[in-house]
Amino acid sequence: MEFHYNKPEFVDGELDFHRFVLLVTHRYSDRIRFVGELEVAHAFVEGLEEAGELELEQAYLDFLFSRGLNIRAGLMLMPVGIINERHEPPVFYGVERPLVDTALIPTTWFEIGVGVHGEVGRGWRYRAFLTAPLDAERFTAEDGLRDGRQKGSRTNAGRLAATARLEYVGTPGLTTGVSVWTGRSGFQFRPRFDVPVHLIEADARYSFDRLELRAEAVQVSVGNTPDLNDAVGRTIGIDPNVAKTMRGGYLEAGYRVVSGARFGDIGAFVRYESVDTQHRMADGYLPLREFDRTAWVVGATYWPDADIALKFDYTMLRNRSVSIVAPNSFNLGLGWWF
Amino acid sequence: MRRSFWLVCVSVVVSALGTAPPGGLAAQQGTESKAEPVVRIRAERFTFTPSEVRTTVGTRLDIELKSDDTVHGFRIIGTDVNVEVPKRGKGSVRVVFTPTTPGRYTFECSHTCGAGHSFMRGVIIVEAK
Repeated sequence: MEFHYNKPEFVDGELDFHRFVLLVTHRYSDRIRFVGELEVAHAFVEGLEEAGELELEQAYLDFLFSRGLNIRAGLMLMPVGIINERHEPPVFYGVERPLVDTALIPTTWFEIGVGVHGEVGRGWRYRAFLTAPLDAERFTAEDGLRDGRQKGSRTNAGRLAATARLEYVGTPGLTTGVSVWTGRSGFQFRPRFDVPVHLIEADARYSFDRLELRAEAVQVSVGNTPDLNDAVGRTIGIDPNVAKTMRGGYLEAGYRVVSGARFGDIGAFVRYESVDTQHRMADGYLPLREFDRTAWVVGATYWPDADIALKFDYTMLRNRSVSIVAPNSFNLGLGWWF
Repeated sequence: MRRSFWLVCVSVVVSALGTAPPGGLAAQQGTESKAEPVVRIRAERFTFTPSEVRTTVGTRLDIELKSDDTVHGFRIIGTDVNVEVPKRGKGSVRVVFTPTTPGRYTFECSHTCGAGHSFMRGVIIVEAK
């Protein structure tokens, strides 16, 4: 659960109960489990309005055969990056998720599919799933892949996407991983043409005593963007200017200034982010420079309990446009988990 | 600045990947268990580290579990072992396990801890003496 107060420059602040999540699990046996997660986003759901969302984020069965090989089927989280599978508010610094985990990795990213997962050796874990693809018709210049999620709702499954992650967790405090996602996302267009999308991501997370370091880098390539932009432009009247390459990443350092006190823990952090959803354009298209963004985020978290986080941060956002100003913002959030 | 950022990003990830020891920590932990009888396992969403522990039949295994975040559980499937691992800052819990037959004993988190809870598993490999 988390609610936020966001105050960008030049506009009034906004209070939002961003996520209310109910997690349901059931154990049929030692080998068969169910996991379900239902989320109400932005507190209020109204039909056909731009209000909140009621989302079924996870609903899958795990068939646990052995440590090395298990099968998962249903609506499940994509195993990409640091945040998507590990998104409980107390486990990451900052009120809002990093830009890269919003535009390039569209967290919370979930689709219907089937796949295998397991652990081999001393700390090598893998996941490999076949799922419904992203919908390229909804890609945008500003938000990249974000609006392309089909979210398990009457999804087009004519061309399945493949996603996989390999990570090493064998050293205490260290988690490193690489993720890939590949799919053909042009299924909405008639006559049909392919929009191949490839995402590659690498990340590392290290914690030692009070220190926590994180790094993540993502590159996305979208094929056939001239046809995609043209087809969407003819449909809605606005050319979306989708780039053929997008990329982004961040570096973050956090330190628990107070740890183990009776009243809880206090941590401070700094994060540098870079996200460019217009990195490389097809011939004949110019990048919109306001979407080549960098940000410094500084802030603190107070944990009165390990499962409750009171967070604030100040975000200094910059872009490469000479005419459009990127606003700084002050953000406050309270998140908890049980 | 932008070029430096990407260089730092790549080098952090590459160097982190390079820190994985060839034998892995679990092997070291298993070796150490003869000299140091306590196996220390760290629990965090959604990992036990080490997730593989080796021992021999009849050896008393003292396992100390500590959480880096929320409450977790530690259950060895097929045995009576099932304890709660207190949340960060609330101490640790110790489990004694003395296997009498060789085999692979799967352990798992038995306290729902988040979206990736069912990933949180490990194994104790018990070899004959």
